[in-house]
Amino acid sequence: MESFRLANGLRVLLAPLEGSPTASVWVWYQVGSKNEHPGITGASHWVEHMLFEGSPRYGKGAIDRAVIQVGGELNAFTDTDFTAYFSTVPRDHLSIPLDIESDRMTRALLTDREVERERTVIHSEREGNENWPEFRVEEETYQLAFRVHPYRWDALGRREDIEHLTPTELRAYYQKFYGTRNALLVVAGGFDPRSTAAEIRRRFSKLPPSGADVTVGHPEPPARGERRAELSGPGTTPYLQMAWRSPALHDRATPATMIIDTVLGGESRMFSAGPGWGRAAEHPSARLCRALVDTGLAVRATSEWRPRVYPGLFTIQTQAARGVPLDRLEDGIEAVVDRLAEKGPTSLEMRDARTRIRRGAALAYEGASRTGFRLGYFAVLGSPAYEDRLFSQLLAVRAEEVRDRARELFRSDSRVVVRYEPTGGGADD
Amino acid sequence: MTNANDPLRIEYAEGPSGLRIARQSPPPGAVTFSATYVGPAGWAYDAPNQEGIARLTTHLLTSGAGARDRIALARFLDRAGGTLTAQCDPESADVTVWGPSSSAPALLGVLADAVQRPRFEASDLARVRRQMFERQLRELAQPGSRANRELHLTIFPRHHPYRTTGMGDHRSVGRLRSTDLSRFHARHFTGDGGLLVVTTATSARSLVRMVRRLFADLPSAPPPPLTLPKAAGGPPKDVTIDLPGHRQVEVRIGGSSIARSDPSYPAAYLADEVLGGATLLSRLFTRVRSKGGLAYHASSHLEAMRYGGYWVAQAGTGTERWRRVVPMLRQEVARIAGESIPSSELDLVRESRLGEVALALESTSDAHELALDVAYYGLAEDHWVTWPSVLRSLSPAEVRRAAEVALDRRRSATVVVGPVGGA
Repeated sequence: MESFRLANGLRVLLAPLEGSPTASVWVWYQVGSKNEHPGITGASHWVEHMLFEGSPRYGKGAIDRAVIQVGGELNAFTDTDFTAYFSTVPRDHLSIPLDIESDRMTRALLTDREVERERTVIHSEREGNENWPEFRVEEETYQLAFRVHPYRWDALGRREDIEHLTPTELRAYYQKFYGTRNALLVVAGGFDPRSTAAEIRRRFSKLPPSGADVTVGHPEPPARGERRAELSGPGTTPYLQMAWRSPALHDRATPATMIIDTVLGGESRMFSAGPGWGRAAEHPSARLCRALVDTGLAVRATSEWRPRVYPGLFTIQTQAARGVPLDRLEDGIEAVVDRLAEKGPTSLEMRDARTRIRRGAALAYEGASRTGFRLGYFAVLGSPAYEDRLFSQLLAVRAEEVRDRARELFRSDSRVVVRYEPTGGGADD
Repeated sequence: MTNANDPLRIEYAEGPSGLRIARQSPPPGAVTFSATYVGPAGWAYDAPNQEGIARLTTHLLTSGAGARDRIALARFLDRAGGTLTAQCDPESADVTVWGPSSSAPALLGVLADAVQRPRFEASDLARVRRQMFERQLRELAQPGSRANRELHLTIFPRHHPYRTTGMGDHRSVGRLRSTDLSRFHARHFTGDGGLLVVTTATSARSLVRMVRRLFADLPSAPPPPLTLPKAAGGPPKDVTIDLPGHRQVEVRIGGSSIARSDPSYPAAYLADEVLGGATLLSRLFTRVRSKGGLAYHASSHLEAMRYGGYWVAQAGTGTERWRRVVPMLRQEVARIAGESIPSSELDLVRESRLGEVALALESTSDAHELALDVAYYGLAEDHWVTWPSVLRSLSPAEVRRAAEVALDRRRSATVVVGPVGGA
């Protein structure tokens, strides 16, 4: 892998893969919903949509057309801490995504007309999510847990802000944050690194240095007691989600927290294994599955710790089995976390967790797209070398550290509990 | 054997008890291996009063096999670095193992155990049954899944396997016992009628030797071929269902369609891609989302299977917008079969779809899907090599004619599900 930085601040990572028939171009911006404030929530996600809607050399639809007509694929996604855009093309067409990204990095048009047209699309995306109780529960959990920090709202933004955010405000947000200083360009696949580096310098060096500081200056104060919410809505399954304040990615407690996630839920997102990105639905040997699903209390139970730049949440997500009261399910979850905090993981669990982490790390880099994703993901959240450091730390964590971390993590005064009781709908037809 | 290392070419061989083996080389630089057994075990084979048995049986194949119970199997997979997944479709069921190439022999052994020696333990049956009950309810309550369900109920006749999602109902699933599942398994996870697709760097000869040893216990007699009831003569009825409390309305327009073996399939495939396939330039996406700004998702899909198929044009939109979206979908469906597609539009979509094949060679799991498609539908060994010339030979007129039959709006139904109030 080769890395360099242009004079305008743009960071570049090149990962040539010998024999790869494709090339994948990723641009990661350190801009996400963490950089929004009430009134403009959802702006990062909206900008993500708008960067496909026109820039000086690419009119509306031209970006899609340029990539698709050579057999490539493209998309983008927005998170709390970053936004990522990618195109994967046959390797002979690498210049196309490089040209697109250099054109829209600082000069996307965001015209009034296109911003207005996209408003209903964004509404529709949010409405589609709201059809799922899981989304409602997740959104409520973060809203309860955070009162000051921007993690309080979902990256999709609040409904009322989507309604009222103006094209002028959106352009101002884009012009403030989207620029070379906050961007990371990753190219992976079959290409010649020397000529590609030269092409990148030629295309991107002329962009002016831009991109305001993306640091969030308002830390969330410590929680001073449990917070609870009872939701109800359409559906047939009761949900119960519990959450606790958890460390930021670079905290020294992160490796032990990731082991807790692996012991309880089966794997940790950053080192999950499988042919796709994401977590498997069910891990039979994980504690939550054994204690809740196997015993008939739940039909699904898992945990999740998401890597975040700032302190976030460790969550346990469950769906109750038919006829099981949520009180009983909550008792069941508490028993699982209390036991881990009291006795720590077994030696077998520690061995299993390390095995899964090794597996996830070993198989994560197959193909240009996955390589581009993974390199960029670690680099935008930390540094390109951060994965190796974290991997070593994870393998070195001791069971007692995990136990101590569980005691610190699962404190009742930082706990958030959200229950969802279904009102029915559809099943009686 | 020529070009044995080309992942676009499949090699066929004979395995034990009539099992057909298809081998594919992994893409360049791949470090993983994948293998899938496909058996004649879809929910089309569910017996009356045992609806749901195919899904339940398939799901339980990953819950312990041979000497390993569910937990031991999970730990073994962890150590080998692999995953084991199962899926049930109307016509078939499949089990897939994936993991590092270095663990290929051990993982193939896990697959052989899962296919031949599932345990069907009572505790696992109880757990999976509970999960299936929940999915039955969710299918009715979620606008998207409910819309799919209603569309299939209206376009396919009674006792047609494409009419349902194979989950049965509370009563039929509730009465199934481990012995029922064992009987279903013995009859439907067979050598003859079955298929093993393996993406591996191991030579064909070594692979066949290994498969003959590992899969020696497969029964040979396959179930009888399926005969599906004919669709009713008249057009299906439109359906509107109010699910209050939700935020989005799901719209589906669709009908029955051709089988994969139909000679017009390549042209119909292109017609569907132009209408609303995977590209962001499809007509539905462009009109409903890019230009109309009316929905986040708008697409179409042609599912051509062994015995028949269906097509669907779909969108999800707000309560105040669905009445504008429905006629848009209908107009685009009518246009794809009623007007010749401009050559430039067809060329763009065609080349993008051909590019998709090249992108599938990024990883073993993606390339494996290509091999599965070829092997399951009994296509030629060099199907993906000749596919570009097949698609490029099609004229706009041929594509339009194929759309008339495969995306036939005259025999289609419109389904609207969500918070539609008294509509």
